Amino acid sequence: MSHPRDLKILVVDDFSTMRRIVRGLLKEMGCDTVEEAEDGVHALRLLQASKFDFVVSDINMPNMNGFDLLKSIKADASLKHLPVLMVTAEARKEDILLAAQSGAAGYIVKPFTKAVLEDKILKILQKMAVAA
Amino acid sequence: MSTVLPARPATDPLSLPLPAAAGTASHHPEVLTQIGLITRQVHDALHQLGVMPKLKEAASGLPDARSRLTFIADKCGDTANRVLNSVEQAKAEQAVAAKAAASLRGVIAASNAAGALALLAEIESARQRTDAHLTDIMMAQDFHDLTGQVVAKVVSLALIVEDGLVGLLRQAAVEEPARKADTGILNGPVVNPAGRSDIVANQGEVDDLLASLGF
Repeated sequence: MSHPRDLKILVVDDFSTMRRIVRGLLKEMGCDTVEEAEDGVHALRLLQASKFDFVVSDINMPNMNGFDLLKSIKADASLKHLPVLMVTAEARKEDILLAAQSGAAGYIVKPFTKAVLEDKILKILQKMAVAA
Repeated sequence: MSTVLPARPATDPLSLPLPAAAGTASHHPEVLTQIGLITRQVHDALHQLGVMPKLKEAASGLPDARSRLTFIADKCGDTANRVLNSVEQAKAEQAVAAKAAASLRGVIAASNAAGALALLAEIESARQRTDAHLTDIMMAQDFHDLTGQVVAKVVSLALIVEDGLVGLLRQAAVEEPARKADTGILNGPVVNPAGRSDIVANQGEVDDLLASLGF
């Protein structure tokens, strides 16, 4: 199983504050290779330009929201293997179901704790290792 | 206490059946006639009630309210970023202190100074606790993301109300059709979850919901 420190992670959120918080938490988990995107369009551009191992994405964003980003990733043969963890303020059940049905690897509701983020990432990596 | 609304009279235009689709309104001249009638009634009523000055005041006050909310959102963002800058710098200093303490431990251990080593352990323990506090401070800055989203929704709602009021004022003045407001996406952070079954209240409920579906 991979460890977060071995991963190259893309953090997608339109709020720079939240990107910095997630980046800081990932750093505390040992992951130093983190890049940031401010919306789905920017994220797709980065994903197509270089190789990433994991995506942490917000949902409510301008230009391209997290659902559309998720669908684009899952529709792209070269990206569909990427685990996408949704980290969002959207607490509606229909959003959670839509994320799951669209192929999200996990769903975290803001506000969250470091323990929750770490737990979700480790569980997703564990699941991927079992499936491989 | 429940409020009982008076029954609408049979001639109330709002009780008339709506056409199957908006596009078919042109095939129902009586509907257009009714809309025109209602518009005229609203126009006359607003003038008779002296509502127009208040509407004008409300419409002109909304841009000010929007700019105030935007100011709050910007200030929150600036503050959050300043705190995060300090946290990141303090954490870097903490890492330097940890490295120096580890080196010092090696130097002292070589000369077998037990008391100094105990003090070093105490310093390291305090450093770890400080680092945990810094992480908490960092996490607390998520208020900017959450309040910012709520403020953005209020701003967009104010814009819709403003559009509606401006349209109403124009309609009352020259009887031109009001612009259709763009409702946009009005979801986002849940401000008041009490009594709602369509949302989850915490991460545990998210996990339960996903688990119940086999995810």
